[in-house]
Amino acid sequence: MLEHTSEQDLKDRLSLIEQMIAEGRRTTESWGWTFVLWGVAYYIAIPWATWGNPAIAWPVTMIAAGVVTGIVASRQAGRRPETTVGRAMMAIWVGMGISTFLVMAALGSSGRLEEHIGIAIVGAMLGAANATSSIILKWKVQFACAIAWWAAAVSSCFLSENNAGIVFLAAIFICQIVFGIYGMIAESRKHKASAGREASHA
Amino acid sequence: MPELPELNPVIHGKLRLALLSLLAGVDEAEFTWLRAKTGSTDGNLGAQLLKLEEAGYVSVEKKFVQRKPQTLYCMTESGRQALTEYIQAIKQLLGAAIAQ
Repeated sequence: MLEHTSEQDLKDRLSLIEQMIAEGRRTTESWGWTFVLWGVAYYIAIPWATWGNPAIAWPVTMIAAGVVTGIVASRQAGRRPETTVGRAMMAIWVGMGISTFLVMAALGSSGRLEEHIGIAIVGAMLGAANATSSIILKWKVQFACAIAWWAAAVSSCFLSENNAGIVFLAAIFICQIVFGIYGMIAESRKHKASAGREASHA
Repeated sequence: MPELPELNPVIHGKLRLALLSLLAGVDEAEFTWLRAKTGSTDGNLGAQLLKLEEAGYVSVEKKFVQRKPQTLYCMTESGRQALTEYIQAIKQLLGAAIAQ
């Protein structure tokens, strides 16, 4: 059988190997919705903490957003292959989320949390996570979000409480809501392109 | 004159080659994903994956996720080694063909 393998057949096989390896690596995961979800969670927590009960507003909204993220992500995970990049992304965001939650909860319960510090910590953590993700994914738009979060974190150290709050709200809108919707549109386009390739393979 | 390499007959089947290459790009993949990417039928895909499993090139894990059965396939170290050797053999054969 193998003696009859032609030169063209060997080239086709090499091309098939390259194509299939690339196909596996190109597998996209849908994470745009998490940015929107967490942006909405911040927008619920902020007025609740300002005009309601600050002691429970942040923990309740953050834990609820975390639970929703976990449930939806575990449902999605069954449909897609696990990749090293996917695990790296998850590690970054889970690590950032737990670190931020622990520090904020400790500062809140000790009575040492003030708005400037809170914004500086959240902004710096989100900046670091966005920057790391953007470098791994080679996604410049996400790096712009990292810069916006860092700017919010640094400016909160110098601005008045009100102005720091406004900058924080603006950063949430741009880096969570707008970027999340942009990510969802980009993912939808990738899925359509991928479905087209699968149809052509079939 | 150096001897030309033999192509591994287990990997040489086009669907098995495609499956092994797909698994080379991911950590693990579900049966349904492999079916979608290759456009193969359930029966044929299952048979080819079984051959790769028997050769020790892929490992299988069966579990239930939200009460639904899930079959996950993962490339083994010997599978990766076999694919690497297969690619080298093809390149060597192509090199010999060009030299003639």
